[in-house]
Amino acid sequence: MIEIEKLKDYANKLMFDMNEEEYKTLQDEFEVILKQMDLIGQIPDIDKVSPMTFPFPNEDVSLREDEVGDYLTVSEVLENTTHQVNDQVKVPRVVGGDE
Amino acid sequence: MYKVVIGLEVHCQLKTNSKNFSPAPNEFTEAHNINVAAVDLGLPGILPIANKEAVKKALFTSMALHCDLPDEIIFDRKNYYYPDLPKGYQITQNTKPVGVNGYLDVIVNGKVKRVTLHDVHLEEDTASLEHYPKYSLIDYNRSGTPLLEIVTNPCIESADEAVAYLEDLRDLFLFLGVSEAKSNYGQMRCDVNISLMKDTDTELGTKVEMKNINAFNNVRAAIEYEIKRQTEVLESGGKVIQETRRIAEDGKTYSMREKVDAVDYKYFIEPNIPSTPVTKELLDELKESLPELKGDRYLKYIDKYNMSEYDAGVLSKQRDVSDYFEEVLESGVDTTLAVNFVTTAILSTLNKLEINISELFITPKMLSEVIKLVSDNKLSMDAAKKLLYEAIDKKTDPVELVKKEGLSQINDEDKLLELITGIMDENQEVVRQYVEDGNMSAVNFFVGQTMKKSNRQANPNISREIISKELERRKNNGK
Amino acid sequence: MHILDKSLDEIHEALKSGEVTSKELLEESLKRAHASQDEINSFVTICDNAKVYDVEDNVLSGIPYACKDNLSTRGVLTTASSNILNNYVPVFDATCIKKLKRNKAVMMGKTVMDELGMGGTGTTGHTGVVKNPWDTSRMTAGSSAGSAAAVSAGIVPYALGTDTGDSIRKPAGYCGVVGFKPTYGLVSRFGLFAFASSLDHVGCLTRSVKDAAYVIDAIKGKDEADMTTFNSRNIQLVDNYTTDVKGKKLFYIKEIVEELKNSPNKEYYENFMKVVDYCKECGMEIVSESIDEVILRSLYPSYMAISCAEATSNNSNLTGIPFGNRQDGSTTEEIMFNTRTKGFSELIRRRFVIGSFILQKENQEKLFLNAQRIRRLVVDKMTELYKKYDGCIVPNSESIAPKFGEKNDALSDTYLLFAEHLAISNFGGFPSITIPSGEVDGMPVAVNISGPIKHDSDVINMAAALEEKIGFIPLNMRGDK
Repeated sequence: MIEIEKLKDYANKLMFDMNEEEYKTLQDEFEVILKQMDLIGQIPDIDKVSPMTFPFPNEDVSLREDEVGDYLTVSEVLENTTHQVNDQVKVPRVVGGDE
Repeated sequence: MYKVVIGLEVHCQLKTNSKNFSPAPNEFTEAHNINVAAVDLGLPGILPIANKEAVKKALFTSMALHCDLPDEIIFDRKNYYYPDLPKGYQITQNTKPVGVNGYLDVIVNGKVKRVTLHDVHLEEDTASLEHYPKYSLIDYNRSGTPLLEIVTNPCIESADEAVAYLEDLRDLFLFLGVSEAKSNYGQMRCDVNISLMKDTDTELGTKVEMKNINAFNNVRAAIEYEIKRQTEVLESGGKVIQETRRIAEDGKTYSMREKVDAVDYKYFIEPNIPSTPVTKELLDELKESLPELKGDRYLKYIDKYNMSEYDAGVLSKQRDVSDYFEEVLESGVDTTLAVNFVTTAILSTLNKLEINISELFITPKMLSEVIKLVSDNKLSMDAAKKLLYEAIDKKTDPVELVKKEGLSQINDEDKLLELITGIMDENQEVVRQYVEDGNMSAVNFFVGQTMKKSNRQANPNISREIISKELERRKNNGK
Repeated sequence: MHILDKSLDEIHEALKSGEVTSKELLEESLKRAHASQDEINSFVTICDNAKVYDVEDNVLSGIPYACKDNLSTRGVLTTASSNILNNYVPVFDATCIKKLKRNKAVMMGKTVMDELGMGGTGTTGHTGVVKNPWDTSRMTAGSSAGSAAAVSAGIVPYALGTDTGDSIRKPAGYCGVVGFKPTYGLVSRFGLFAFASSLDHVGCLTRSVKDAAYVIDAIKGKDEADMTTFNSRNIQLVDNYTTDVKGKKLFYIKEIVEELKNSPNKEYYENFMKVVDYCKECGMEIVSESIDEVILRSLYPSYMAISCAEATSNNSNLTGIPFGNRQDGSTTEEIMFNTRTKGFSELIRRRFVIGSFILQKENQEKLFLNAQRIRRLVVDKMTELYKKYDGCIVPNSESIAPKFGEKNDALSDTYLLFAEHLAISNFGGFPSITIPSGEVDGMPVAVNISGPIKHDSDVINMAAALEEKIGFIPLNMRGDK
């Protein structure tokens, strides 16, 4: 069973927290999924199968020609934030950032 | 004594019209948030659309760096949270970079050093943050700019090697035309990893990381300072701490944060960009357009043209100058003269006018014509250079100028004799001094007068010969 | 019966003949939406000021529709039913919305969904639970809950939905409507708030199969803004629409039907076998095919692994900067932390932790990559079967819509075969349609037909033939409801 402390660390790394009860539910869910994934690991020669990322190969794929197309106006960029100064998005001073 | 082990990670912004995964313009600008597409802002519902030109330039660079190239282009996500990363992940390449196992041969203090490369990968730049005492401001113009990262193996052993590598790498970017690589615009930035080990050690020492150093002299300062600092730590029996440091204006490095544990970026393949095959046609096309690179040209200039290391260095450093020079050579003119003209008259004009060679009025063809006049003894070096400056001033083909203004050198012996006879008749006293007193300085006097009267068109060597002969003739006649 | 209750063909004719105007249709639709809101709660936003259009030649012009709240609509609040986006007004239209605008379709509202698309109950949206119009003590399932409810209740003839595991088809089945998810890449995902990019599809919920053909024809097509789309000029669902499916070959998955057969209520099995008979009556061949049960049982954990992993990354943009419901904090990190803690409900946060765990370096091989290997095995098996067959038919669900409280979204060990069998078509990007197949206990039940990629027309036509045989009457066409 994965310790609650670890789950808390994982959650915090994703920038949120949960309450104790929620961690317990999560702990139970991990039990279920890890048990089921264990069964998958036992399928003979599963490691020889190549993992599938895309549903099927798209034969009609093409890279974008390097042309300027649609983009946003400054007011559209800032449309969904009230925290703005001098056409930029304002946040508390970021410490230890790249100067 | 300790052995220094340095690895460099260079980030270079690629020169494209649009961003790596969006159609917003890719250009440096002072105005805030004007080059931003929804993709660059990480708005819900956006999808990345990979830029063909960025991919081509990335492959092109990998090829020039002798890398193994992939059979397909795929991207990965690198997941982490930071205020300059609006999507919460950076699209980069982890599974199949555009290049692996490459190298760049660099000349350091006259010796060839092979810097081996771990990989070259294509990714996107972050937004930029401006820091104020109480807050920071985010500008998304830079977000999504195509970025090529070139990672060396830990094979660099000194600040000299590091800086020589960076300079050559920048020249390579310029040669290939993939980036403007201006470090003052942050278009080329460098992360330095450095550790010290004893000669007898088999494992690398604890490494210190310094991020985002733009200027090459700061890379040098940071490395030199770290070597000194880490040596002192080790000498006094201490241990180097694994940490990130930064270089300050005083040339010293300061600790920013200690590395707690390695960040897990949870890489996985970007599912929105289907695999695109790297076709043989594309590789052939790129191979075809791959120019002869700086190092090869340098060696060729020395071996084939017997140039000095200095001249070879000057003429191979910049692609446009080197191409210009080679075009002049192709017309079959004398190599020594070509080297002389390009390294003096042409380069000094570029400096004076602060222009690129492509903007220069004098084309390689014009220069070749002028050089031919010199080697055919129709024009002196001095006159030729003056002619070039005049041509630039008047924006007129120098050959046209010669035709129009008759600036061509007078080599015709009869014409010169006529001119010289006239001058001597007007200066009977100087002739007498030569004839009677044997005053040899009379020769120089008449050469000077001939040049003056001919508007400096007279061929000075031929004139001198004629003057000597004529003075001797008059001397013998007088007897 | 109001004209709004008829098929798209019929409504279009009525608009053309002047029997009804676009404005009248919109007013009726808005009236119904408001009237049902307290009872079934289908909408996050009802667009009382929606722009109406005159009728044109194309069938969708002037007709109201509803849109799931995870499709970006310029200038119209789009929340994905999450608190973290409760104030988000997009500055761009999703490609499918753009195309419907070009078709002069009238968007009358944004429908409630399970928060961020990650849930299958219709109970997790930030504006409350969606109730099943057939019986408000029952759920609709999700995540396209409001879209299914709105179509079922007759508020709109069709609604856009999205489908990552079964999010269109499951609620369609529970609400007695048609739900269609076409081939992956047939409809652009640009503007769809991503849940799991490699599994996400845009599709529709309608009252008839032909209506679904009209909607998909209007929104499909290669899109410069979505690299996974493809040229589909040769796929024309309405032009090729026919109920003549003689000679088509279908199979059903033996293990899944066996499980239904062994369930206590025999009516579900009987309903399905009746549909099997209908297939034969339509002139189709139908046989059973076996799929390794180990693989079938692996579907659910694999789906969870892949979808949660992609979801945790896809939703990393939700930090309150530079959009969304930003919470206070003294540092930027604190702002992100508070925004995400308050903005996501518990279920979402649990899914993200699972997804992130699966992607951790030390777990990737055993969890993420093994899930992707199962994906390959399933898709290869289906692709092989589709070489012999035109389609696959399965029961849509193991039951009618559950009552509230009977089922929640926590991962469970039970119902494994039925838990995610419709996700097979998301794994492979196969076109997949759910149609009502009758009633059990006064509630609709359904079957699902899928086919090989890019054979959307065949899937539509087989479904249309069965629809005709089954003769199911939608809820809004019944006098008694």
